[in-house]
Order: sequence, then C-alpha cells, then structure tokens
Amino acid sequence: MGRKQLIAAGKVVLLLVFAVILQTVLLSHVRVLGVTADLFLILTVVVAVSRGSLEGAVFGFFAGLVADIAYYQPLGVRALIYVLAGYFVGMFVARFGTVSPWSVALLAGVTSFLAQFVFGVFQFMMGPRAALLTMIGTQMLPEAVIDGLITAPLYVFLVRVRLLPAGHLETARSRGGDE
Amino acid sequence: MPRNKVAWRRFVFVALIIAALAVLTVSFRETESGPVHAVQQGTAGLLAPLQSWGARVAKPFQDGYDWVATLWSAHKDAERLATQVQVLQGELVKLQEQGQENQRLKSLLGFQDKGTFPAGTDFLVARVTGKSPTRWQAWIQIDKGTDDGLRVDQAVVGATPLAGESLAGKGLVGKVIEVTAHAAKVLLITDSESSVAAKIQGSRAEGIVEGSVSGRLSMDYVDRDISVDPKLVIVTSGFGGVYPADIPIGIVANVGEEDVNIYKEIEVQPFLDFRVLEEVMVLLVPESSGITGPAATIRATGTTSTTSTTGTTGTSTTTSTTGTTGTSTTTSTTG
Repeated sequence: MGRKQLIAAGKVVLLLVFAVILQTVLLSHVRVLGVTADLFLILTVVVAVSRGSLEGAVFGFFAGLVADIAYYQPLGVRALIYVLAGYFVGMFVARFGTVSPWSVALLAGVTSFLAQFVFGVFQFMMGPRAALLTMIGTQMLPEAVIDGLITAPLYVFLVRVRLLPAGHLETARSRGGDE
Repeated sequence: MPRNKVAWRRFVFVALIIAALAVLTVSFRETESGPVHAVQQGTAGLLAPLQSWGARVAKPFQDGYDWVATLWSAHKDAERLATQVQVLQGELVKLQEQGQENQRLKSLLGFQDKGTFPAGTDFLVARVTGKSPTRWQAWIQIDKGTDDGLRVDQAVVGATPLAGESLAGKGLVGKVIEVTAHAAKVLLITDSESSVAAKIQGSRAEGIVEGSVSGRLSMDYVDRDISVDPKLVIVTSGFGGVYPADIPIGIVANVGEEDVNIYKEIEVQPFLDFRVLEEVMVLLVPESSGITGPAATIRATGTTSTTSTTGTTGTSTTTSTTGTTGTSTTTSTTG
C-alpha cells in the first residue's frame, strides 16, 4: 500500500470515528420530525460517492457494525444493509452520475428510504407488524428527508476540508475503464 | 479500470456480504453470554459514558427545537386546556368531598395502606442516555447497570412528576431487557413486543396492555360484556411475574367494539409522555419476595403516590399524588 493510499485510508477511518462520536453523542439525542438522522448511512453514501463502490462497501460494513453496537441491534443487520448501500451507490455514481451537492443529497435521501425499507422488512420478519403506509409516513419519509438535507452541506464540507475527494473523479475514472 | 480491479471489487463486496451474514447468524444463534454478544456489550459499555455526556450536551438543543415546534400548536392547546381546567375544577370539588369521605371510611374500617411494591423494594433513579433510533422499536438506554444492582426483567417507572397533572410522569415505563455493567436497555410499554397484564380500576376488567409501532397503547382481551367507561384508570394487575400490581399505566381514552371481535378495543392514554423521558426509576424488588399487593406507595425524589380501593358503597377508587411542588390532585370513579 502506497503512502497516498495509506493517507486516504486514514482519512476514512477518521471519518468513521467522527461518525461514531457525533452520532452517539449528539445526533441520537436530537429528533426532528420525530426521527433521528443516521450519520452512519449518510457517510456511507458520501464515501461511496467520493471514493467509489469498494470503499463505500467497506466503510458501510464497519459503520454498520458500529451502528449495531451503539443501537443494541443484532450484530450484522445494519452492516449488511450499509454494505449494499455503499456498493450500489458507488456503482450508480460510476455509471450515471455527475456529482453535485444536490444530487448527492437526493441520492442519500433515496438510499436512506431504501435502506429503511430493507431494515423494515427485517423488522417485520423479526416481530413488529406495522402497517407499511404508517411506517412510510412516520419513519421512512421523514428520515429520508432529514438524511438528504444533512448530506448536502456535509458532503461539501468534507470535500472542502479535503477529507474526501470530489465525486466526479470516480465518474471520470470509471468511464475510462471497462466496467 | 483494469479487469482485475473489477474482480477484486466484486470479491470484496461478496466477502463483506458473507461476513455480515455470518456475524448476523452467529449473533442470533449464540446465547447472551456468547463471544459476539460479549464484544457488543463490552463496546456498548465503552460508549455508554459518551452517550450519557452527549445526552446532557444535546438537551438544550432538543429543548430549543421542542419549544419552537410546540409553538405551532400552543394556541389550540391553550383553548382546549382552558375548557378542560373548568371541567376539572368542578370535578375536583366533588372528588375532594369523596376523598374526605374515603378517609373517614378508612378510619372506620381500620384500613391501612400496604405498600404496592413488595416489602424491601428500593428505587433507583436513572438518567435516560439514549433512545431507539427508529419507530420499529421503542426502548431507552439508562445510565445504571449491573454494578448498581440492575438485572433483566426489573420494572421501570417514571420519575418526572409535572405540577398540575395527577399521575403524569409517574406511570409505568417498561422493563429492563439488557444490562451491561454501567448501562441498561429498557423496553418501553409502547413497544410492539411489549405486553403488560393490567386491570381497569372501577370496572375491575382485566386484560393485556400492548404497544404498537405507531406508539399507541391499547388494552386487549377485555370481554365485551364488561362495561368500561372512558377516563377510568388502568393499572398493572401483577400477573406475569414482572410488574408489581397497581402501578398506574394510563387512562381509558376510547372504547370500541367490533362484531367480529369477542373482546373490546380499548385505547389507552398513558400517564407518561415517552418522547420526553429524562429520568426513570427502576424498582429493585428483592428476589425473595412476591410482587403483588393491593395498594401503592411510591417514595422517591420527594414524590408520594397512593392508590387505594374500597368497595363498601360500590367501587370507589382514589388516586392522590403529592409532589415536591405540593400539588395534590384526586381522581375518582364510581361504578
């Protein structure tokens, strides 16, 4: 592993530590529209957009494990969902995306909604039988909106402070390749 | 992108999926004392002080947001509450008279309050440090654990009395379901997995109070032929071995019946606002004692709540609460 890659990996680890602290210390206690923003998922999307599907999936795996621990979930549930989220967001951006803060926000909102839907299916299998429309209205949509709104400024901030590269690099790299 | 890079990416993706599934499988299959749970509990224990500190830091921000959010409905609430105050003031006079009559009858019968909770029950006040991140589950995390004497299945009641509200903040919160050294997870009674054996004071109907993902409480398994009126107080029945008897849960908000259902559909308005829980009390019931009793006395943080029942002239239930502010409210029903 070269020096550049080592620095990049270090930045991603720093991002994960930042996510753990901010989510557990602050965000989990603040509810807007009755829901809590999911910084682990937001950062998984941001990393996938900036660095690609492989890094997005790896980041999602570890972020998911930490989230499972912090939220007392069965270990592996969120890890699985965030791996899928990170990988497919990275693939989506590589294939279709020109990346602007707003498109990242939209992508984060849609990803949040889909991730919660998968999580909801899992919860449904495990026990709570909730009406789908109720959960869409009270949980999935509000959190998708909150996650999307937080993503745009966070993405711009992380790119500005050079913790992450801008997303178009991934697009250019992939278009030149054979994927 | 070179072909081997694509292959490598796919390989890592599949490996991560398999790893997540493996961890998930192990997590479900192993016992609570297994290695994966031990790692999870150990790490959660490390995060607990951080979360406790965060709860304090975030509180002003959350309060600020709540304050702004409640402004929207403040005018409507004020009108509704003004009407309610007028009605309640009328009832209060009536109930104070009944309360005095109750006292007289008690003294005549030589009736003495017995503790609701088994002898030796202690109360541990704990701060809420975390809440479930989604509506699929309803739980809170508190800053007390096994080191403080907590164990699984202990009942938890509210500890935030509000002036002017009879039992607000003092109702049943839930039960401890997971404990680490310095933290515990409490399943709220509003969780869809929660069920509490309960009875309705006044009608003496018994049933099960159940939660739901929407956060609403309902009481099920109450026979249709039993008369249940709105505003009656619902308390724990003590059956089931987890919750001591006569802990207030809420009041009957609505009673419905369906032709296809042999039970009533009772909507329950809880005494607690589960969205704003800040402190709770864990009941440290001695293992050697039973957990049922007819009357209640809760003593903690200067708060006393007494629930007593006499049945000489029909069923009359009096619930009185005296908090630190000296507020005293009485609720009574006659069936």
